[in-house]
Amino acid sequence: MAETMKSEMMNAEAAGAAAPEKDVILSVRDLRISFRAYGGLVQAVRGVSFDLYRGETLAIVGESGSGKSVSIKAIMGILANNAIIESGEILYDGKDLTKVKEDDFHEIRGHRIGLIFQDPLSALNPIMKIGKQITEVLRLKKGVSKAEAKEKALELMRVVGIPDVEQRFDQYPFQFSGGMRQRIVIAIALAGDPEILICDEPTTALDVTVQAKILEQINQIKKDRNLSVIFITHDLGVVANMADRVNVMYAGKIVETGTSEEIFFEPAHPYTWALLSSMPDLQTKDRLNAIPGTPPNMIFPPKGDAFAPRNAYALKIDHEKEPPMFKITETHAAATWLLHPQAANSRVEMPASLKARIERMKRSGGFNG
Amino acid sequence: MIYDRNNLPEELLNLPASDFEALYREDIKDEKFQTKPVGFFKDAAIRLTKSKVSIIAFIIIGIIIILAIVVPPLSPYGFNDQNINAKYLPPKMPIVEKLGIMDGTRVLKSRKVSALTDPERYPEGSVIEYFNVVTVKGQEMCDVRIDAYKMAGVPDNEYHWFGTDYLGRDLLTRLFKGTRISLLIAFFSVLTNVFIGVVYGAISGYYGGKIDLILTHFAEVLDGMPYIVVTILFMILFGSGMVSIVLALTITGWIGTSRLIRAQFYRFKGREYVLAARTLGVSDRTLIFRHILPNCVGPLITRAMIAIPGAIFSESFLAYLGLGIKPPNPSIGVLLSDGQSVLLQYPYQTVFPAILISVLMIAFNLFSNGLRDALDPTKRGEE
Amino acid sequence: MADSEYILEVKNLCQYFTSGRGRKKLTVKAVDDVTFSVRRAETFGLVGESGCGKTTTGRTIIRLYNPTSGEVTFEGQDIAGKMTRNLRKFLTSNIAMIFQDPIESLNPKMTIEEIVGEGLKVRGQNDRSEIRRQVVQMLNKVGLVEEHATRYPHEFSGGQRQRIGIARAIITNPKMVIADEPVSALDVSVQAQVINLLNDLKEEMGLTILFIAHNLSVVKYFSDRIGVMYYGHLVEVAKGDDLYQKPLHPYTRALLSAIPEPNPLTERTRVRIDYVPERDHDYSKEQPSMVEVEPEHFVYCSPSELEKYREIIQNA
Repeated sequence: MAETMKSEMMNAEAAGAAAPEKDVILSVRDLRISFRAYGGLVQAVRGVSFDLYRGETLAIVGESGSGKSVSIKAIMGILANNAIIESGEILYDGKDLTKVKEDDFHEIRGHRIGLIFQDPLSALNPIMKIGKQITEVLRLKKGVSKAEAKEKALELMRVVGIPDVEQRFDQYPFQFSGGMRQRIVIAIALAGDPEILICDEPTTALDVTVQAKILEQINQIKKDRNLSVIFITHDLGVVANMADRVNVMYAGKIVETGTSEEIFFEPAHPYTWALLSSMPDLQTKDRLNAIPGTPPNMIFPPKGDAFAPRNAYALKIDHEKEPPMFKITETHAAATWLLHPQAANSRVEMPASLKARIERMKRSGGFNG
Repeated sequence: MIYDRNNLPEELLNLPASDFEALYREDIKDEKFQTKPVGFFKDAAIRLTKSKVSIIAFIIIGIIIILAIVVPPLSPYGFNDQNINAKYLPPKMPIVEKLGIMDGTRVLKSRKVSALTDPERYPEGSVIEYFNVVTVKGQEMCDVRIDAYKMAGVPDNEYHWFGTDYLGRDLLTRLFKGTRISLLIAFFSVLTNVFIGVVYGAISGYYGGKIDLILTHFAEVLDGMPYIVVTILFMILFGSGMVSIVLALTITGWIGTSRLIRAQFYRFKGREYVLAARTLGVSDRTLIFRHILPNCVGPLITRAMIAIPGAIFSESFLAYLGLGIKPPNPSIGVLLSDGQSVLLQYPYQTVFPAILISVLMIAFNLFSNGLRDALDPTKRGEE
Repeated sequence: MADSEYILEVKNLCQYFTSGRGRKKLTVKAVDDVTFSVRRAETFGLVGESGCGKTTTGRTIIRLYNPTSGEVTFEGQDIAGKMTRNLRKFLTSNIAMIFQDPIESLNPKMTIEEIVGEGLKVRGQNDRSEIRRQVVQMLNKVGLVEEHATRYPHEFSGGQRQRIGIARAIITNPKMVIADEPVSALDVSVQAQVINLLNDLKEEMGLTILFIAHNLSVVKYFSDRIGVMYYGHLVEVAKGDDLYQKPLHPYTRALLSAIPEPNPLTERTRVRIDYVPERDHDYSKEQPSMVEVEPEHFVYCSPSELEKYREIIQNA
């Protein structure tokens, strides 16, 4: 499956101007978003461009403050009041979503683009029956009858894997476990019959065993309904499970983009190296390669490569000049001076421990293999 | 923009080789902060000053407090200087008098026209005009506008800005003396309320369990008793002085604060930083006063600020019932109470204290609203 | 007694929470009959999902809660009994705790110096310059600088706050640290910092660590031995590698099968195992108990299950 994905995208410019015949469903162009705060403007997103293809899962990885959540909030039109979209556009269905008025956004949000939040409890109305919350969305859209809506809602609840739907239909959110609540949120997101599903850390608050089930469910639904999914997470294990393509974000920028295999097996940006080698897997015995320091204060983004101050592999130029995106393959690009032809002399390579780990990953089937 | 490495544009070609030196820095430490430290209260102050309404309210409160301090000593009249000749004088204020208001005149209705020329009854210059002349039973009657000051034989250079009362006492002086007393009563009653409430609520909330049960039930019983009756009994028992009014306002006033503090303690005592302090062996007292209480300061200040106009109002209310401060001391409530008994004849006696108490209460309420928003920790750092 | 192999011994520890009274009385068995021991200078990992009682176990040991029943001894001394002044002193000078939430665990109204120096103050150190000196030394140890001492917690990032929390815990030189999910609330990129720091401190100070977490990869990396908890019960205890290679209890297997690995190849072929207690166990005839299946490998099982497990071990 990965192979077909790859060949499909061979023709597509990874993040360049999308040719019309390619099935780009959503396109973000040079998005810049800042927040007004005491002390100055927080530059949360600093020129992000990416395409989402029909039927794929695009993962956006990054730590808190990297701008991943802000980017998708802009897509959903739910930015906080103190946010300013400084430039850029979000093209969807011939419209620029940054210019769509709030009154018209209802047509898109929830219907064309569905959203699953991190915290299912706060996404549900605690005093409204689960069934009502799903049917409400259904009836809002099509003006379907009450009975039809209920039928559809029950079916959606079955789709997301809720048992005893008839009985569950009349229950309140507090009567559900965390995992079940998240399934309800997914059902509500699906009720509008969207073509894009945005998942903002949907399993971070859940236990691993529940997380695994929910991820399976999302994958299944995506396949059945041919959804395009944007999946926000900081957990690389989840990324490996879900993603066809991966964008790695740091300090408001995409620092590396590529297919899942490329990111995990041929990472090019030192930040991706650091991410991959900083967490132990079940075989790790050596000292971890921790990323020193802390993420930058985005009121004062560092000069040059934002990751340079924390990067043991930084070149001199990284501290002075911002690296552009360099193409590695048709689908793989990274913003690091290490990819510049002249950097060959500096002989900076990924850490040996990471190399060994990638080799091990390629060989082993892991626990389940 | 993605660059092909084999086909780079001019500006990216042939960069200085030294630029591509690897630095291999081993010892990367956390950086110092680029921002200045912003303490809790500074942050709150920043947000408070952003709210125009709060600033205006604050300025108004400030002016009233300053007036309450400054006016009584600077006034040529003592608050209790009686002048039986100068009683019921209407307001008269320099400069403003030229506008036709607050010029010390008053209209007397249904007077004999013939008497107007009697210097015994209307001293020279005291009659300004008369109108509405009608003949009743052969007597010419009229309404007459008189200069009350001249009529009372008060020297020309004597001004009572807000008029005088039935004993000829200057109402401006009395009003601000009264404001001072009202504010003091409010301030001290809130202070005692907060003190009792904090201690009671802290003990109740921190220890929980049986202690909490007993303390809450006691407060509930107290709260269930009719406030007015309790207060009246209290005042009868202890007489009406400032201290006893403060105490009367305290009998049940602290219950709200103690509930607030108890809720805050319940909220904070399970927080991880409190648990952390407990694992370090920190004593209960330190936990209460160093760890939990400072985090309740925001709601506490807000509550205290809201309680001040409430206390002013309660005091006025008691005074209105005749349970006010011991005469001859004035308070806003006493003045209102005195004023309303002659409301129809001498409305100015009620108007000025009424305006003052309204402005004061609105200003305190608006300011405490602003304060509540500014001290709200969830809004930290927002513009 | 101080030369016993085990520094901490927990025997049949129970922690029940009750709410309501009379008919509405509800008892939650947060920790139910838990037994394990921790060796000197060892890291013992406790894993399980939310609500399994791992946090409660840690908090009961350090006496944030009073245990319902059971025995806990530290260095041979009973620490589960009635709380006295002496016991409090003994506990606080020997065991420290690191908390999960980097935001919640630092008092927002105190400076870093006050937070980190509190343990010294409690121990009667009143010389401010001495406190300052030790705090700065400790801050340096956890990778912060002197200038940070006068700042307030909200100015720090999550990783920094967690390091401050560690500094607070170890400034008094405890023998054992209970680390309750110290990295789970942190960003991936800073989790490693904290893990490495704990590892360094462990070496340097000879610390014994009770490491509580839900992330099995992290626990496996960090711990010598691991206990798996499920709904108040300890279901399996083993050395890290044994647990990973020869998981016996069906819940352990389910847990292992659910961990997402950062490897797209294995992820695409993942087979998840469900754990359904009613299906996986038949305890209607036999009572389960904690049994040592092989050296250092304990499982909570019934006699017939034990047979089965022994077979698995032999075939492995």
